[in-house]
Amino acid sequence: MAFARNKLLIAAVAVVALLLPLLLQRHYVDVMVFAGLYGIAGLGVALLLGQCGIVSLGQAFFYGIGAYSSAYLCVTLGLSPIFGIVVGAALSALIAFIIGWPILRLTGFFLALATLAIGMIGGILFYEWDWLTGGTLGIGGIPTLSLFGFELNTPQRYYYFVWAIFLVAIWLSHNLVTGRAGLAMRAMRDAPPAAEALAVDMHALKTKIFVLCAVLGSLAGSLFAHYATYVSVQSFTVERSIIFLLIPVIAGAASVWGTIIGALFVALAPELLSGLGDAHQVLFGLALVLVVTLLPEGIVGLPKLVMKRFGA
Amino acid sequence: MSWGLFWQAMLSGITNSFVYALIGIGLAVIFKGTKVINAMQGEFAVVGGIVTVFALQAYGVPYFPAALIGIAAGALLGLIVDILFVRPMMRRKAGEESFLLLTIGLAFTISAGLLYFVGRDSYLLPGIGGSGVVEMFDAFIPVHSYWLVGISVVVVILLRLFYTYSLTGLAMAATSIDPIGAATNGINVTLMRTYTFALGGAVGALAGILVAPLVSVNYHMGIALTLKGFAAAILGGLANPIGAVVGGLVIGISEALAVIGISSGYKDIAAMTVMIIVMIVMPNGILGRAGRRGG
Amino acid sequence: MPIGLKTALCAAAFASLALAPVPSFAQAASGEPIKIGALLSVTGGLAGVGQPERDGVLFAAKILNQRGGIKGRPVEILLEDDGSNPDAAISKANKLIHEQKVAAIIGPSGIAQSVAIGAITHPIKMPLVAFAGLGPEIERQRTCVFHLTPAQALNSHALLAYAKSIGAKNVGVLHDSGYGQVIWNVMQKMGTEFGITFSKVEKFDIVATDATAQAALIRSTAPDAVFVLSTSAVPFRALHQVRFGKPVISVHGTATYEYVKAMGDGANGVVHAEFLIAEDPLPSQKEFVALYEKEFGKKPKHFDAAGWDALNVVVKAINETGGTDGAKLCDAIRKPYDGVMTKYDFSQPDMGGLTPASFTYSVLEKGAFKRLPFKAAN
Repeated sequence: MAFARNKLLIAAVAVVALLLPLLLQRHYVDVMVFAGLYGIAGLGVALLLGQCGIVSLGQAFFYGIGAYSSAYLCVTLGLSPIFGIVVGAALSALIAFIIGWPILRLTGFFLALATLAIGMIGGILFYEWDWLTGGTLGIGGIPTLSLFGFELNTPQRYYYFVWAIFLVAIWLSHNLVTGRAGLAMRAMRDAPPAAEALAVDMHALKTKIFVLCAVLGSLAGSLFAHYATYVSVQSFTVERSIIFLLIPVIAGAASVWGTIIGALFVALAPELLSGLGDAHQVLFGLALVLVVTLLPEGIVGLPKLVMKRFGA
Repeated sequence: MSWGLFWQAMLSGITNSFVYALIGIGLAVIFKGTKVINAMQGEFAVVGGIVTVFALQAYGVPYFPAALIGIAAGALLGLIVDILFVRPMMRRKAGEESFLLLTIGLAFTISAGLLYFVGRDSYLLPGIGGSGVVEMFDAFIPVHSYWLVGISVVVVILLRLFYTYSLTGLAMAATSIDPIGAATNGINVTLMRTYTFALGGAVGALAGILVAPLVSVNYHMGIALTLKGFAAAILGGLANPIGAVVGGLVIGISEALAVIGISSGYKDIAAMTVMIIVMIVMPNGILGRAGRRGG
Repeated sequence: MPIGLKTALCAAAFASLALAPVPSFAQAASGEPIKIGALLSVTGGLAGVGQPERDGVLFAAKILNQRGGIKGRPVEILLEDDGSNPDAAISKANKLIHEQKVAAIIGPSGIAQSVAIGAITHPIKMPLVAFAGLGPEIERQRTCVFHLTPAQALNSHALLAYAKSIGAKNVGVLHDSGYGQVIWNVMQKMGTEFGITFSKVEKFDIVATDATAQAALIRSTAPDAVFVLSTSAVPFRALHQVRFGKPVISVHGTATYEYVKAMGDGANGVVHAEFLIAEDPLPSQKEFVALYEKEFGKKPKHFDAAGWDALNVVVKAINETGGTDGAKLCDAIRKPYDGVMTKYDFSQPDMGGLTPASFTYSVLEKGAFKRLPFKAAN
């Protein structure tokens, strides 16, 4: 693919992204903030799925760890937000390592179900440890973030902040994927015996990506807590993990940039469909099923599919 | 700790075990025939249960035919899912994660659809043999629980006979083990997969019909059922209905022991942890390789 | 047939809303509508409360408009469904506030949504009439967020007072890991106040399908009664199954016909500390119950009534202030209000002012709620 064309595309997207909050109605800016938040968490899942072929159904657990770390350290202990974000990420990394090391020996469905079980155990613990998480009452009054004295207290401001982080994270992931590590990962995904022959320590590599995925989830969770100013167990259920997984699935897992499209879909589609009345969740489900059935490479693969059908 | 309590916990654990097992059996049937993990197995149960309730209460169909209608509804749903969604994906050789996501999407859609069409009510069926309770060793178990266990056992035996002796059953199993080989032997692979989905749907619906008198069914319980069924099926090695029963028993009983032994709030954590450990330590399920072949 | 009926009712409710200004009564409202937002969980896990709340709000608007609206202007309800997702609720709230320019928001249905949206509406002084009880500490500062259902300490008080009245000294507790856990956390510190000890406390997961082992454990300690704190019908069935035989006392969340249906035989004899007994309404509730039964062909419960009250609270404030200025509306709402569900006092520090005397007690007999003479003292 031509590098120059890519650059042009990125520039165009950047310009649109910069102008969006000025053009959009307020609540769509909100939706875009959530798209960014979900996108960061979904990027982690995308790396696991796209590079290692691992289906993660437990990302909401790490998202929750980030959110509760921020909430607890800021509100209960009165520390500065940066501590919450860092502690959440460190804690997630540690837990991901401890869990990942044993379970990443599993493959395919079994691994997917193990991550699902982890997500469920996490959800139950968030309920049970209400001295820490506030249980169903949750923790309120989480301060908004400020950057060099600039309060990020409107959706517009937070939009720029979150999307900047999201795009930087994608860019770093892009470098990772196209670099040496990415090569090893793709070898591991597509031809495990060959990778092994090339002395790629697959298990260690998988664990690293799993930890990275958890850190991204935790970061997204912390940012969510500072935006919503409130966290409760309802935000960290298995359903949320499924939403995160949908991001790479809908966009096409092979492309890290596709995460943007996936994130926009999961945030915007329910919003747009909800105008259609009580059936909106049914329609969202159907939309999802149709994407999985008809678009093997996700929405990113759509142009190629159309070309194949009608072109040449 | 009195004996009565112990028995109560054990017997209710065993009842739960067979609920999990019935969902697990459906999962195992579908996995055996298609190598697809069906994340909407719980929805088959909910649909089967609700259709039976409607047949019985809104249209006055007698119990047994109403249950058959419920089972047929499950089979029909399985058929539709296969023809509309699984076939096109099989044709383009989609990866196993795609099927997982497909069925998750379908589960979500069906759950939302049930809320839309039949509402938020919980639907309860009368128990087979009435709503009586049997007292045993100072523990109380509904008569229906015995039926649930008995019917589950019969289903497992029938499935075993079906897969071992009937030509269709053998063909259905062969299809997933070696689709190309099966096709060269004149087996209609696509048709066998459709049969598998219909059978899985029917077993799922039966589970829902048997569960409905104990706990009632509602639009959002499918996922909880599926998860427990997953755990049971995985412990049993995934492709084996008998394994699913053994898996169900392990989970149901460890939960019961967790209720008596530790705080009941940590019951599900115990079950999930057991599931993860078994997957790592015994990748072929607790019955081992022998279990994979059986069923 | 239930399917057709429900869909038809919803359609009727919506249709009547759309056609609200049509003068079916001589004095029906006309003119520019006053917009009020309703942000409810109509789909997803909270649909069980969100749907009756929606029915109540839309029905209240319909009747209000037939009777002339607000000084001749009709009320227009802008309904948004958050799908039981707190994140979605945030953007929906912003939509109602900034794009649709509503005068006030009715809802949301859940605690999580209330706290999250309160952070948006309170600073700009837009009235938020939430259905959840007072949540975490931060909500005490939000004097523009009102609560129509009791906080957990009050629910606990209502149950303990009743247990004391029937001479129970030793009470078992069966609670779920969600809503029930929240109430139990508060209740466990309140037993001594009523001379009640808790013989055995058992928890079950909210998605559990069986709680007979827990029920048997409670039975084994031979309590005088049991408190069921849950949003599930499972514990009632379990207690029945182990032949508990002593009074079962429960919070208002399960006092709905849907839950009663799911409780099966376990429903008989269950006592609820609740609010609206449509079989035997209080004088202040009679008109609402009659209108509701005529419209929907079934009996209302307190979530329907809360929806009705929510709109009428806002409408009363608009009538009093003669405008839609948020800060003025909030001040106008912060007064006692005689609602259908119960008597509120929004001037209280908990923004709802329910007291133990706000509860009415019912016992279930053959699927119907029957009023009990007991009234808790304030």
